[in-house]
Amino acid sequence: MANQNAVRGAVISGIALCFGLTALRYPIGSFAHAGAGLFPLLVSTLLLLIGLVTLVKSRFEPAKPFSFAWRNIGIILLGLFVFVVAAKVASIVLGIVLLVMVSSLAATSYSWKRVLAVSVALIAVALAFQKLLGLNLQVI
Amino acid sequence: MDVITNLAFGFEHALTWSNLLYCAIGCVIGTMIGLLPGLGPLATISLLLPLTYSIPVDGALIMLAGIYYGAQYGDSVSAITMKIPHASSIVACIDGYQMTLKGRTGLALFTAGVSSFIGGTVAIVVLAFLAPLLGQVAFLFGPADYFALMLLGFVCVSLVTTGSLLNGLAMCLLGVLLGQIGTDLESGTLRFTLGLTPLVDGVSVVSVALGCFGIAEICRNLDAREERSPFNGKIRLMPSWPEFKRIIPSALRGSVVGSLLGILPGGGPTIAQFAAYAIDKKVSKYRHEIGSGSIEGVAGQAAADEAAARTSFIPLMSIGIPENAVMALMMSAFIIKGIQPGPNMIAKHPDLFWGLVASMWIGNCFLLVLNVPLVRFWLSIFKIPYSVLFPSILFFCCVGTYSVNNNLDDVFITAAFGLLGYILMRLSLDPAPLMLGFILGPMLEENFRRAMLLGRGSFKVFVTQPISATLLGAIAILILVQFASAVVRMRSGGFSPADQAGSADRDASPAEMIKTSGG
Repeated sequence: MANQNAVRGAVISGIALCFGLTALRYPIGSFAHAGAGLFPLLVSTLLLLIGLVTLVKSRFEPAKPFSFAWRNIGIILLGLFVFVVAAKVASIVLGIVLLVMVSSLAATSYSWKRVLAVSVALIAVALAFQKLLGLNLQVI
Repeated sequence: MDVITNLAFGFEHALTWSNLLYCAIGCVIGTMIGLLPGLGPLATISLLLPLTYSIPVDGALIMLAGIYYGAQYGDSVSAITMKIPHASSIVACIDGYQMTLKGRTGLALFTAGVSSFIGGTVAIVVLAFLAPLLGQVAFLFGPADYFALMLLGFVCVSLVTTGSLLNGLAMCLLGVLLGQIGTDLESGTLRFTLGLTPLVDGVSVVSVALGCFGIAEICRNLDAREERSPFNGKIRLMPSWPEFKRIIPSALRGSVVGSLLGILPGGGPTIAQFAAYAIDKKVSKYRHEIGSGSIEGVAGQAAADEAAARTSFIPLMSIGIPENAVMALMMSAFIIKGIQPGPNMIAKHPDLFWGLVASMWIGNCFLLVLNVPLVRFWLSIFKIPYSVLFPSILFFCCVGTYSVNNNLDDVFITAAFGLLGYILMRLSLDPAPLMLGFILGPMLEENFRRAMLLGRGSFKVFVTQPISATLLGAIAILILVQFASAVVRMRSGGFSPADQAGSADRDASPAEMIKTSGG
């Protein structure tokens, strides 16, 4: 299993490099007249420094295991994705039902009755938001 | 006696029927989310932000403020009865839960409620006197000073909320970079948009908050797979007179500590509780009992918690710089409503400022009623299983994100931030400093550019100004101390338990922490 401290350093450095290299493509300007790229470049340089220090430090610290469970976060993200697609193609109502159906897979147990009950309740809430609070939801 | 006339003026505004209603709604929602795991004040305020578009300015701000300080009350209830800490109630778990084990739940809840009330009241007095005064000081601030103040805030927040300067600063800087996404206001250059149209206006605060705090938090709870058993014990609320007398001194001490720590950069409820608890342990008459379920161990920290939650509004409303992540979100709420918090706010919108201050005290009364006599009702909320709760929270995240721009594509951005938040959480990186960096990022850049322009491109401008030089000096000292202690720790070898305790302040329950750190 990977060392959490080392992975953290690598991820931070990686993000810093992405932002820093992109910032180089924007006009940098001078310190007195900063361009669009100067400030992000400075910040990402600092972030890269922190990332590298974390990486070096992790060699001297006791390793911590890095655990990452894809299942639940995957199911939740899939649920959100399905909601948006369904709401765009068909309607919010279908989106809500599918969101509850898919995301409930992450729960400890699965029951059709519960999915149905939660969906109906949420559709009612969405309807209330639309009618009472004036949100642009188009439930019906 | 300006303050009294001003407060009277404030009460006039806060006591209208509609504002009372918004205050009550804020307090009820706040208590509820304080009790329930899975939604902290950050996520809830950002959820409700889009819903407040149609509400008048004062009502909206009163409601959002109520959610924040209401959540601090609710927190302690779940901590005392079930040892579930979240948002910021780690300390309440120690003595509060011990009291429950001894069968004195009612007394603990009463103590927490009354102490919070005292803390809140003291803090409001501090707020009413200090905010206008501090506003005068803020007029002396130039761009370099603002820049240095924000940096100091970053360093303090990193130290306080994560316990690790490196991790915290990394999160702040990442937040600043994420805040750069969108159109550069000075040159009109599109930055980091990846060619995606929804990113041209930048990432919305709501997406970042709901992703990093809402979705990531749901996954954390799901991964933990803990089934909570609801509290079924008996609650006898009314204390005896000698017990009541023991509450007062601790609560007053806690209020003072909390009010002071709430004002400092990086301060807020979390650090205030720890400090108040530590002080009670040193000076209280019953210090030998603290830790094994004593009244003082609950009263001091509850008062500090509530006091700090309110005085943390001072830097935001008088200087215009939020000192922690929730206040940063409140700042976005102010700006969305067309009000720029800062030294001019009190003069320009006295009704809003004094109305908000007065509403905090009214909210205090609401919360006392909600949390002491009605506490049994709130405990029944725990009977809702998490498998019903989390799909509903997801739905609210979708609706909240969508209604910012009426654009469904924004939900994808929220989902992306959910993934980012989850990865950061698995790397033991706390997203709270990220939120602060994200909201302050554009201001930080603007002040940096302006200061450099005034200094003709030389970094000397940050050291020649007395205010910014002092602030930068404070940052240097903090970093040096941190560095020195890290070196000492490495020499002595191995891990110190303080390392773990420091990162525990946010909503990780102790059991969960053991699980994540043990793999």
